[in-house]
Amino acid sequence: MASMMQPQIILLKEGTDTSQGKAQLLSNINAVTAVGDVLRTTLGPRGMDKLIHDDKGSVTISNDGATIMKLLDIVHPAAKILVDIAKSQDSEVGDGTTTVVLLAAEFLKEAKPFVEDGVHSQNLIRSYRTASTLAIEKVKELAVSIEGKSVEEKKGMLAKCAATTLSSKLIGGEKEFFATMVVDAVMAIGDDDRLNLIGIKKVPGGNMRDSFLVDGVAFKKTFSYAGFEQQPKKFLNPKILLLNIELELKSEKENAEIRLSDPSQYQSIVDAEWNIIYDKLDKCVESGAKVVLSRLAIGDLATQVLRSSYFADRDIFCAGRVAEEDLNRVAAAAGGTVQTSVNNIIPEVLGTCEIFEEKQVGGERFNIFSGCPSGRTATIVLRGGADQFIEEAERSLHDAIMIVRRAVKNSTVVPGGGAIDVIPRQLCDNAGFDATDVLNKLRQKHAMQSGEGASYGVDINTGGIADSYANFVWEPAVVKINAINAATEAACLILSVDETVKNPKSESAQGDAAAGAMGRGRGGGGGRGRGMRRR
Amino acid sequence: MALAFDEFGRPFIILREQDQKTRLRGIDAQKANIAAGKAVARILRSSLGPKGMDKMLQGPDGDVTISNDGATILEQMDVDNQIAKLMVELSRSQDYEIGDGTTGVVVMAGALLEQAERQLDRGIHPIRIAEGYETASRVAVEHLERIAQKFEFDVNNYEPLVQTCMTTLSSKIVNRCKRSLAEIAVKAVLAVADLERRDVNLDLIKVEGKVGGKLEDTELIYGILVDKDMSHPQMPKQIEDAHIAILTCPFEPPKPKTKHKVDIDTVEKFETLRKQEQQYFDEMVQKCKDVGATLVICQWGFDDEANHLLMHRNLPAVRWVGGVELELIAIATGGRIVPRFQELTPEKLGKAGMVREKSFGTTKERMLYIEHCANSKAVTIFIRGGNKMMIEETKRSIHDALCVARNLIRNNSIVYGGGAAEITCSLAVDAAADKYPGVEQYAIRAFAEALDSVPMALAENSGLQPIETLSAVKSQQIKENIPFYGIDCNDVGTNDMREQNVFETLIGKQQQILLATQVVKMILKIDDVISNSEY
Repeated sequence: MASMMQPQIILLKEGTDTSQGKAQLLSNINAVTAVGDVLRTTLGPRGMDKLIHDDKGSVTISNDGATIMKLLDIVHPAAKILVDIAKSQDSEVGDGTTTVVLLAAEFLKEAKPFVEDGVHSQNLIRSYRTASTLAIEKVKELAVSIEGKSVEEKKGMLAKCAATTLSSKLIGGEKEFFATMVVDAVMAIGDDDRLNLIGIKKVPGGNMRDSFLVDGVAFKKTFSYAGFEQQPKKFLNPKILLLNIELELKSEKENAEIRLSDPSQYQSIVDAEWNIIYDKLDKCVESGAKVVLSRLAIGDLATQVLRSSYFADRDIFCAGRVAEEDLNRVAAAAGGTVQTSVNNIIPEVLGTCEIFEEKQVGGERFNIFSGCPSGRTATIVLRGGADQFIEEAERSLHDAIMIVRRAVKNSTVVPGGGAIDVIPRQLCDNAGFDATDVLNKLRQKHAMQSGEGASYGVDINTGGIADSYANFVWEPAVVKINAINAATEAACLILSVDETVKNPKSESAQGDAAAGAMGRGRGGGGGRGRGMRRR
Repeated sequence: MALAFDEFGRPFIILREQDQKTRLRGIDAQKANIAAGKAVARILRSSLGPKGMDKMLQGPDGDVTISNDGATILEQMDVDNQIAKLMVELSRSQDYEIGDGTTGVVVMAGALLEQAERQLDRGIHPIRIAEGYETASRVAVEHLERIAQKFEFDVNNYEPLVQTCMTTLSSKIVNRCKRSLAEIAVKAVLAVADLERRDVNLDLIKVEGKVGGKLEDTELIYGILVDKDMSHPQMPKQIEDAHIAILTCPFEPPKPKTKHKVDIDTVEKFETLRKQEQQYFDEMVQKCKDVGATLVICQWGFDDEANHLLMHRNLPAVRWVGGVELELIAIATGGRIVPRFQELTPEKLGKAGMVREKSFGTTKERMLYIEHCANSKAVTIFIRGGNKMMIEETKRSIHDALCVARNLIRNNSIVYGGGAAEITCSLAVDAAADKYPGVEQYAIRAFAEALDSVPMALAENSGLQPIETLSAVKSQQIKENIPFYGIDCNDVGTNDMREQNVFETLIGKQQQILLATQVVKMILKIDDVISNSEY
């Protein structure tokens, strides 16, 4: 008791929150498990969606692990790691974000009893690492290569992969429809790495069956001016001119000032200005282009009308304020080059496509370029009942596109439907089956000597088990490998932490925090009078 | 929101401002969402059908809307709940795509949700319900395809189109003169339709309304109606065989774009400037005269000097005509929009057989009729009515009728209305249910029951005994195996919708079923609602 008199050594700044030891480790594990629990129900074809309001009041309905994690706005330091691995999985492979979070949470949960029993966490880490290597080897062993198959066969297999990804999403009901679409889109852009060559356009209205794929570029009709309606709306094999200039007087000249002393010169100045514009327009026409797209907004009203009617008079279609992204995709598809000047337009810089058409899609009119020669772009026009529906569909398609691209690159697939314990168990739970029962059946199959049971997974339709491979529930091997790797890394990272030091918030934030703490104290009850909260 | 507690019962702080967030999960979330969706549907239920009632909505700034159109009502209600918003979007997307049946789709979604709630109480997994619904919707859509009838029409025989439009209009406030309005709508659509491409650009149909007169005075003008009068009261009120110059440049001396300044230091210079301006006006008028224009329509204004000059030179003019109208005039009269006086040529003039100014009743308001145009590809529907609300509602009703006519031109298949289509689908789905093993069977049956709710609401709104009527019609359909029997809303004495000429478009009906299913699936899939508590 004598030590009571000893003066306390103040090491850290006041208000710094620190906690350490085994208790801290357990606390971290609990936090991670809690986050895992949020995502748990979204896994698999029978997974549910989450509806999340953010600060600004906008709403997202999603089933995508990475999206949910991002929107949850997690501040707990250990739990944040989960967000990071979800993100990394998303950027690396694009799918399996829920899987990776769940795996990590489950690894930690399994580790908890060992930690409580006093096993040193470094030992756990080492064995987890070994286990993950083993698992990855197994995955590699199971993987089936799609290399060397005919194009048709390959397409079929890729579609299966895409369908597996899509089955857990909102658009799962139409997964075959979208899977084929995604595969076609990915095949269209070929080996090109630029993902933005696949455009996804969203048009509310209609139903998802009305979505379609354009083997070229499609974009919403841009702002149009009087005279536009008189321009022709359909061309066969048109030449396309892409511009990145204003078909206007150069705006730099704004600063110039003309002083007129003789009023009679007035008219000549005006004429000179108009001539500049005419000159530009003439050059466009001379190039032989039938479709003129320009990225920039086009000056004031008078000249816009001039342009519109000028082109209409000469049977040319023109559109201004085309988004840069769309313009680039047109350039890639039609084989043209974006011009920054109308001087010296040589035929080589003009693109072409088989059909250019303006078409009604729902309440919008779309400009569609199809049958492009270099064909390295594709556009998916998504339709759906509600905005949120389309948003979610877009995310789902993004996942599917990534998966297909991954599969194309790595050309190996593994059977889905459950690889490590937690996954099939959750799949069963979400589908409303007896998890233990199904799991035992699966174990038995996998334990068979012949090895033929290795591809068995959960059959969510009947509640039994089935050969995932035969049922075409496929995932690219790289998704699984990356998921196991990332989850293990995250788990090991969290296990290796034994102390958290949290700096006090800066002045302004502290007030909020204090108020928040009081609120919590009242609400939680358990935390009352306990001095320092542990984080 | 406490996500988790550690061993000592203290909450983890995982999310930012965790305590300010509310979270609803599992079955509670689903129940709450379903309740919200149902509430929206309940509001619209009484508006369904020919005997449906209207809603009066008062906007934030006191303006009153009276409508029976589902999309309009929901739009104006300004709902806040997210799920309710989904229902609003559902109705809107039906509006964008089909333009009609906006009430029906919401009622159907509400019924599906109601049935889903029952299934949830039975302990069926929400996803399985959603999947059952999806299967059922596919059955229903296929069934509709089977029973749909094609009917032939051409420009001279448009009676079937009129009949279908009448079905749409019969539920509106304007049903008093549905025959004449339907004819107007059909004629308008046929006038602008491109029958070869089966494309109708509704932008070319202008719907204009003016308070006064009666509904019967509503007319279709093969030409353009402009809510403007001649710029000078003494200009002629009627011009036969008009040659119209359509200008987008003001009647004033041109200004260079570049910043400019005229230095005037002597009286002589000032005189020249003034003279030049005068001369300029003179030249402009002369130019118009030279090319043979007998009427000038200008997007901009012109000052009194020019006005006087025009009057003096006997050249009638209209000023401040909007861009959209200008474009329509150009299309209708076959003229070109001219941005500069220098561009004026005789070929660019539009031609109209008759341009006249007409005043209405005792008011001083006048409108300009441009009729007998060279190209009647642009038409105007001019609505008269007792008050503003009436005209607004008529506009919406006409819009619905126009959309129906357009849909029929796109796809000339029809199904029978009056609930007949829903009843036959319900029967088909019910029969199909038995073929599906598993829990989905219940959901499919529930879908069939939900389909019944549309005719039920129709009967209820018409003052009939809902259950009795429905069962009578159902048994009649089964007995005679004809899908034409529906609810006799108008008490004509027969259930045969063929005889009553109650048609709806096939695509409209299919869209309703698919969209409603899609949104219900989305709502059912949500099992977790995380929101800031202020929402």
